[in-house]
Amino acid sequence: MSFGEGFLRFPDLFPGRRGGEPWGERSLVLEVAGGPYLVAGLSAAQEEAAHRKFVGLCRPADAAAAVAIHLFRAPSTDFLDRDVRGWEYTLDRDYSPGAVLLAGLRLMGRIDWTPALTGGLWTSHPGGEEWVSTFENFFRVLTAYRLLEQGSALLHSAGITDGTSAWLLLGPSGAGKTTSSGLCLARGGTVLSDDLNAVEMPPQQPMLTRLPFTGDLGDRSGGPASFPLAAVLRLVKGEEDRLLPLSPGRALAGLVASAPFVNQDPWRREDLFGTLERLARSVPAYELVFSLGGGLWDILKGIPK
Amino acid sequence: MSLARVVATTWRENLLFAVLVELTYRCNLDCFFCYNDLALRGEPLSREQYFRLFDDLRDMEVLNLTLSGGEPLAHPDFLALGARARELGFAVRIKSNGHALRGELARRVRDEVDPFMIEVSLHGATAATHDRQTRVPGSFTRLLANLAELRELGLRVKINSTLTAWNEGELAGMFALADSLGLQLQVDPEVTPRDDGGREPLQVAASREGVRRLFELQFERARTAEANQPPEVARGGDDGTMPTPLHKHCGAGSSGIAIDPYGNVYPCVQWRRPVGNLHQQSVRDIWRGSAGLAEVRDLTVEVKDMIAAQGKGSHLLNFCPGSAAAQTGSPLRVYPVAAQRKELMEEVMAEEAKRPLLPVIG
Amino acid sequence: MSSITLSTVLRRRSDVRYRRIEGEAVVLRQSAAEVLVLNEVGASVLDLADGERSVRQWIEELTHEYDADADTLARDVLTFAGELHDAGMLEEVSGEAKP
Repeated sequence: MSFGEGFLRFPDLFPGRRGGEPWGERSLVLEVAGGPYLVAGLSAAQEEAAHRKFVGLCRPADAAAAVAIHLFRAPSTDFLDRDVRGWEYTLDRDYSPGAVLLAGLRLMGRIDWTPALTGGLWTSHPGGEEWVSTFENFFRVLTAYRLLEQGSALLHSAGITDGTSAWLLLGPSGAGKTTSSGLCLARGGTVLSDDLNAVEMPPQQPMLTRLPFTGDLGDRSGGPASFPLAAVLRLVKGEEDRLLPLSPGRALAGLVASAPFVNQDPWRREDLFGTLERLARSVPAYELVFSLGGGLWDILKGIPK
Repeated sequence: MSLARVVATTWRENLLFAVLVELTYRCNLDCFFCYNDLALRGEPLSREQYFRLFDDLRDMEVLNLTLSGGEPLAHPDFLALGARARELGFAVRIKSNGHALRGELARRVRDEVDPFMIEVSLHGATAATHDRQTRVPGSFTRLLANLAELRELGLRVKINSTLTAWNEGELAGMFALADSLGLQLQVDPEVTPRDDGGREPLQVAASREGVRRLFELQFERARTAEANQPPEVARGGDDGTMPTPLHKHCGAGSSGIAIDPYGNVYPCVQWRRPVGNLHQQSVRDIWRGSAGLAEVRDLTVEVKDMIAAQGKGSHLLNFCPGSAAAQTGSPLRVYPVAAQRKELMEEVMAEEAKRPLLPVIG
Repeated sequence: MSSITLSTVLRRRSDVRYRRIEGEAVVLRQSAAEVLVLNEVGASVLDLADGERSVRQWIEELTHEYDADADTLARDVLTFAGELHDAGMLEEVSGEAKP
C-alpha cells in the first residue's frame, strides 16, 4: 500500500504546504524537551484538552518558543472509516529530504525544515480525548526530529532515576520496560516514563530527560526534569538478575532499534547514528537480565557512576 | 452577433458573465511563487452558501465558472459543487495543479462535473525544474502520467505556465512537451507578488532575456503554424480572447469577478481589492450596489484612457490594473515589467518585420 | 439536409452550455470547444429544446410571445431547429411529444 492509502480517501490531496483553516485562534506553549513548542490554531476545546493532558507543561502563548506546530481543520470526509478493533496503532510515513509526511487515524501531518523545523497537523477531531491522542501521536514524531536536530534522541525506553542519576532501559515491545519500571517503583525509584524518554547530549554528560509520553507508568507532569545518565541497559527477562557488559557496537544497535520514526528515515538516519554512536561511547552499556524478584533495582544502584 | 460584440455588451452594460471561485487555499503542492495569502482568515463559505451563490449566478446569466484555489480538488465539497455547477448549466473550468487528477478522482471529475476545460500548471520541461517550483518530489513525473490519463478519459486539458528565472531556459522544451501531448500551452510572462503584498515570489521573476526569448519563440511558433495574428501573451485573469473594443480597458468588475474562500469578492483574481462579502450580501446585491465595484468600473475607463495616452504601441504593455495596484499602489500606474514587456515586444516585432516573407533565391 | 420536421422532439445535447445576454444566447458546445451566438429566435429555440415538446409546440408558444408573422416565424424556427441539430447543439428524442 502506498503512503496514506489505508487512512486517506484521496492520498493525492495530502497537504503540500502548511495552509488551510485553523481550528481556532488559541495558542499555547509546551515546555517539553527540545522545545518550547508553540501550538497554534487551537479551538477552545482543544486548548482545554491540551491543558488537561499536559498538566504543568503549558505556558501562555506569548512565552518564547523554539518550534511551532500549526493546527488545521480537515473534514472527516478526508479520512477513511477504519475498524480499529484489534488494530495496533501505526502511522504511515513518507520521508523526503525536506519533509516528513504522516498519515494516520484522522490525522495528516507534516514536518518541514523550511526554513526551520515546523509542524503542521490536520485532523477532523474538534477536541476531547480523541483530539489530544491524535495530537500526541504527531507530537511524539515531531519531538523525535527536534531532538535529533539538537544532537539528542528520543528513545523507546524506560527511564528510571533515584533522584541523582538515571538509567535507560531498552527493549522492544514485550521486553519488560513496564514490568521493570514497576519493580523499580516498588523499591522507591522514580519512573520518568516507561515508553519514551529523551537523551540529551550536552558536552559534559548525557542526560536523561523526562517526556510527557508515558505508557502505563511515569509522571507526565512536573516539567522536563533531567538526570545524568549513568548507563544504558538492554532488558532481558530471566530467572535471576544479572548484569552483563555490552559492547559499544551492540549498545549502538540496541539504541538505533529503539529510536522510533527517525531510524527508518533514510535522509536523517546518518545523523541519528552519529548521535547514538556518541552516546554509546559516552556511557557504560549492559545487558540486564531481570527477574520479578525486584533485584534489578539493587543492580542499577550498584552500577559505578 | 459575434462573441466579441457579446463580450463588449457585457463590459458596457456591466453584465456579469465570468466568475472565478477560489474554493480553498489548501494545496497538495507548495509552489515557491504561489500568490495565495495563506495568512488570510475568515469564515469559509459553506456548501449551502455556494449552492445559493451558484443559483444567483445562474439567474444572472453567468456562463463561465472557474473553480480555483489553492487546489480546488482539495475542497471537501469539490465534487458536489462541481456537479451542481454542471446541473445549473455553467461552462466549468477547473484550474488545478493536476497532481491528484488520476484514477477514481479523475473519472469522477469527468462523470460528475463534466468540465469544459481543465487547466493544469507546468513549471518546466524537466523534473528538476518543475519539482523545484512545486517543492514536491515526483510531481513532474506524476503530472505527465496524469495528463496521459486525462486525455484517455476524454477530458479537455490546457497547460498554463508562468515564465520564471528557473524555467526560462526550458521554454522550447516546454512547448515541445505540450506539442507532444497535443495540448495548448499558454505562458504568462509575469510572476506576481503574493496577494498580501509579499514580494518573495518576485525572486524568481524571469530575466529580460527570458521574456524576450518567450516572445521570439511565440513569433517563431506562429510563423511555423502559419498563423496571421500576433502572439497571444497571457496576462493574469485575462485569457487572451477578450477584445477591447470599448471605453473600458478590461472586464474586471464589469463582466467578471473573483471570490475567495471566505466570501470576499474582488474585481478579478489579480485585483485584490475587496468589493463586498458574500456572508453579508448576496452576489446580486454586491454586483448592483457595491460602491467599490462602481469605482472599479470607472477606473477601467480611466485605465483605457491612460493606456491610449501612452501613444503608439501602448497595447503592447499588456497592462493589468490589478497588477499595477499590487506593484505600485495604483491601478493607473504603468509598472516596470509592463513597460519592459512593451519594449521587448517592440524589439522582437521590429526584428520580425525585417524577416523576408519569401525565401531569398540567390 | 436536416431531417427535422414539425413533429420532431429535440433536446439540448448534454455538452451544450448557454446563457442569455440581452435576448441573445451565447452557446458553448464543450465537446468541440465551439462558441456561437444566437439571435433571439435561436435563443428561444434553445430554451424550448427540453426534450418534451415538439417543434410544432415551440412555434405555438413563440407565436404568442413574438408579434411576428406566423408563417415566417414557423419557417425560422424550423430552420433554426434544423441548423442547431446539424451543428450538434440539439439531438432528437425518440417517442411522442408530451401535450
